[in-house]
Amino acid sequence: MSVAVVGFGQTHFRTKRKDKTHPEIAFEAVNAALEHAGLELKDIEAVAYGSMDPFDGIYCPERWDATACSLEKPMMKISTGGTTGMTTALAAYEHVASGLFDLVMAVCVQRVGECVDAQPVLNTAVDPIYERHSGLGAIHIASFQATAYMEKYGATEEDLAWVSVKDHKNALKNPYAHIKMDLGVDDVLKSRVVCSPLKLLECCPRSDGAAAVIFASEDLAKKIRDNPAWIVAETTISDSYYLGDRLSFAEWDSLAIAGRRLFRDAGIENPVKDIDVAELYSPFTIQEILELEALGFAEKGRGKELAREGVTFIDGDMPTNPSGGVLCTNPIGATGLVRFGEAALQVMGEAVNQVDGAEVALAHAWGGTLQFHTLAVLSSKKKLG
Amino acid sequence: MEVKEFEIWWKIPFKHSAGLHATKFFEGLKDGKILGVRCERCGRVLVPPRAFCERCHVETNDWVEVSDEGVVETLTVTYMKFTGLPDPPYAIGVVKLDGADTGMLCFLGGVDLSEWRKVHETFKPGTRVKAVWKEEREGKITDILYFEPLK
Amino acid sequence: MRIGIVGVGFTEFGIHKEPFYNIAFTAAKRALEDAGIERGEVDSFILGGYDNLGVGRTISNMYTAPAAGAYLRHEIRVSDDALFALPLACMRLRHRSDVTMLLAFGHSSETPIELVELQSLDPFFHRPLNLSLPAFFAMQSYAYRRRYGVDEEKIAEVVVKERENGSENPRAFVRDKVRVEDVLSSEIVSSPLRRLEIAEWCDGCVAFILAEETVARRLTDSPVWVSGLGWSLENYYFDREFQKLPFVAKSAEMAFKMAGKDRGDVEALEICDLTADYHCMILEALGFAEEGRGWDYNGDVNHSGGALCTNAYGSTGAFLLASIVERIRKGEIDCGLVQSMSGYAQRSCVAILEG
Ligand SMILES: [Zn+2]
Repeated sequence: MSVAVVGFGQTHFRTKRKDKTHPEIAFEAVNAALEHAGLELKDIEAVAYGSMDPFDGIYCPERWDATACSLEKPMMKISTGGTTGMTTALAAYEHVASGLFDLVMAVCVQRVGECVDAQPVLNTAVDPIYERHSGLGAIHIASFQATAYMEKYGATEEDLAWVSVKDHKNALKNPYAHIKMDLGVDDVLKSRVVCSPLKLLECCPRSDGAAAVIFASEDLAKKIRDNPAWIVAETTISDSYYLGDRLSFAEWDSLAIAGRRLFRDAGIENPVKDIDVAELYSPFTIQEILELEALGFAEKGRGKELAREGVTFIDGDMPTNPSGGVLCTNPIGATGLVRFGEAALQVMGEAVNQVDGAEVALAHAWGGTLQFHTLAVLSSKKKLG
Repeated sequence: MEVKEFEIWWKIPFKHSAGLHATKFFEGLKDGKILGVRCERCGRVLVPPRAFCERCHVETNDWVEVSDEGVVETLTVTYMKFTGLPDPPYAIGVVKLDGADTGMLCFLGGVDLSEWRKVHETFKPGTRVKAVWKEEREGKITDILYFEPLK
Repeated sequence: MRIGIVGVGFTEFGIHKEPFYNIAFTAAKRALEDAGIERGEVDSFILGGYDNLGVGRTISNMYTAPAAGAYLRHEIRVSDDALFALPLACMRLRHRSDVTMLLAFGHSSETPIELVELQSLDPFFHRPLNLSLPAFFAMQSYAYRRRYGVDEEKIAEVVVKERENGSENPRAFVRDKVRVEDVLSSEIVSSPLRRLEIAEWCDGCVAFILAEETVARRLTDSPVWVSGLGWSLENYYFDREFQKLPFVAKSAEMAFKMAGKDRGDVEALEICDLTADYHCMILEALGFAEEGRGWDYNGDVNHSGGALCTNAYGSTGAFLLASIVERIRKGEIDCGLVQSMSGYAQRSCVAILEG
C-alpha cells in the first residue's frame, strides 16, 4: 500500500523554550502539522510518539504529552537514540502501510535545553561496566571519526570547516532553525577546540522543540493535498554495540550497507543522479562527509571536497541539509523527524530553501554510539523511474 | 512576567551486575592480565569479553589472555568541561591490543595534553602503545591508568 | 492476512545476576530454537522494554538489539511494556516482513523502580508531591472498595487464588501460596493496599518469533494467530473516576473489533494485575465481570499466576502473552486474551490470540 506525508509541522527551535511546558511544545508542533494538512486532531486515528527521555528530565514523557496529541487514540512510544525521530516516522508509516489505519501522526518532542549539560546524559548511553568511566559522549565519537578520516584520507581542518559554513548559511534563511550565524571558514577554524580535532562551530547546539508529521493512505493522501510526499523506500540497520568492534572509523560501513538496501528497494541506481536533495543527520561536520561517501554521493576519500567545491550548497549538484541541518538545530529525539519532514517539504516544493525541481529526497538519522541508522526516500511520485 | 525555573536533580542509585564474563575480566585485571574471549564460530578474539558474539549470535567461552600492548586506532583530546565528566584536558582513544581482533576504549596519557596537534602526532593511528597500570589494583577498568607510547 | 506466533523463548523470571542483555540473548536463542530457525532467517527485530532510568542505560536497545540477533538487520524499539510492541511487530509483518522477532526485556533489580516511575510525573504539579506508584494504585483501590462496598477479605481472596495459580506455574517468580489471614496481616504499603496485594518486581525476558501466515504454516503445524490488537490511554491529569479503567475497556473494544470476536469466544484471560484491585477492575473493564463484581469472577483468568506472581518491569505483558500462547499450543484452549498496563495505570494494550 502506498503511503504519503500530507502534513509537517515544527516549532521554532531555541536553546530554551521557557515560554512553554513539555506538552505545550508538543501542542505547537501538532497544530502546525494539522494546519499544514488542513486537518483537525479528531481526524487522526493513531499516534506514534518519540523522545529520548533523559535529556528532558522526564521519564516516559509520552504520558504527560498524551494530553497534547493523543487522548482517545492508540499511541505507541518509540525511543531508539539519535534515530528516534526517524524510527518514530517509520512506526507511524507502518500503521498505515499495514492497512490497519488511514491517517496517523508521528510526534517527537525534545527539550535538550532543560538539562544543564547534554554530554553527561549521552555518557549514560555508554556501557557502565566497561566504558562509561571514559567520559565518552557523542562528540568524542565524532572526533574519533574525524581523527581517523583525516589521517587516512589527508582531509584538512578547512575541509571540515566548509561543511559548517554551508549549513550555517542555509540556516540563516530557515525561520525554525536554532543557530543563525553568518560564518566564514576562518570563524570556524578560530573557534575553540572542544574535542580534538573538532571545534565548537563544528558541533551542534542543544535545542528545545518538537515536530510532527502526518501520514495518509493513498486515496486519502490524494484528497488531502495535490502534492503529497510519497514514501518510496525505508530501512533501518542495527550494528554491534562496542565501538572497538567497528574499527573502520574513517568509513561508515553500516550506513553503506543500509544505503545499498534502501536504493535497491527504491530502484535507485545512481544516487547522485537519482536523488535531488538529502537531509542528513550530521551534528558534527565530519559526519556529513562520511555519510556522503557511505551513501555513494562521493568516492571514498572524496567526500571532503564536496562542501569546499560548493557541490553540497543549495545551488550545487548535490544539495545537503538545505534546512541548515543538525549542525544548526538539534532537539535530539525530534531531529530525525525534522529531517523526514524537511525532505517531505522539498519534494512537495514547499521548503524554505527549496531546491529547484526537487522530486526525490533522502532523509537519514544515526543513533547509539554510531550503531544505528534509519533511512527513507521520499518523492513527489509514488514510484521512481 | 519572569518565567519560573526549578532546578531538579535526578539522584537515583543503580547497582549494575557485571555478569560472569566481565567479572572474570576484572579479576584478571587485578593480576595485571587482560582477558578476552575467542568466538568459536568466527574466530575473533573479543576484548573486552562478553557472553556472546554479536556477529555470530553464539555464546563465547574460550578465554585467552591478550597483550597489554597494542596499536592506536583513533583518539580525541577533550578541552571543554562537561558536568560530571572528567576535568579537561583528557585524551581517550580506541586501542587494538596485540592478540585481540577488536579495539578497547581507554585513556591515553603520559604526555603533555595542552596542544592537541602534538598529542595527535604522538598517538596518531597506527602508533604502538603500552598500558600503564595502577600500583594497587582493585579489579576495575580504571586499573589501567592509561596507554602511553611504546619507547 | 494473518500473523502467527511460531516460536517462544522464556528465560527464568527472578532476580538475575547477569546483565539484562545476557538474559535477553538467552531468550532470543531459545525462541529461535523453538521455531527451528536460524537468526539469519529473521528479517525484522522489534524490541519492547524500558529505557534509561529503568535499566540504567540510555538507549537500552544498544544492548538488547545485538542480544536479539539484530546485527546488521532492521530493528526498532517500543519504549514501554513489551506487549505494546506486539502491534508494531504485527504491522511490520503485514507490511513487508516474513519473519520478525519480538524481544521483550524486563529488568528491575538494579534500581528502585518506584523512584524511576516517579520521574515520569511532570516536575511542577505532581512530582513534587511524591505521588509514588503504589500510592496512586492505592488511591484507585480505595475508590474501588469504597464505591462498590468491597470487603478487604474479597480482595485478599483474589490474592490467594492468584498465588495458588502461581504455585503451580514453574515459570512464575512468586510460587508460595498464601492464606487470607496472611494477606490481611501483611503490612500496609499505602492505605488501603497491603504488601501481598501488590505485584513484586523481578527480572526476565521472553522472545517470540512471528511470521506472516504462509511462512508461519511452513514453519509449524500449530501457529498461534494474533487475531486482534487494541491499545489506548487515559488522560495524564486525573479527570477520571478512580474506580474504573475506561482506557482498558477501549483497548479491548479495538481488539475485539479487529478480531471479529466477542467475549463468549474467549476461553482464558491473562491480565496485568499490578494490584489485586486492578485484577477486579480490569475484568470489569474488559467486559467479563459486572461493575464492582470483578472479585467474584470465576472464569479462567491468570492461569499463570498473573502479574501478582510475575512482574518483570518491561516484560510483564510479554510473560502473560507467552503464557496464553503456550496453553493454545498445548491444546488446553483455542482462544485467549492478554492485557497489559503501564505507567500510572494510564496505558493498556490487549491482544486476542487463537489456535
Ligand atoms: Zn563470532
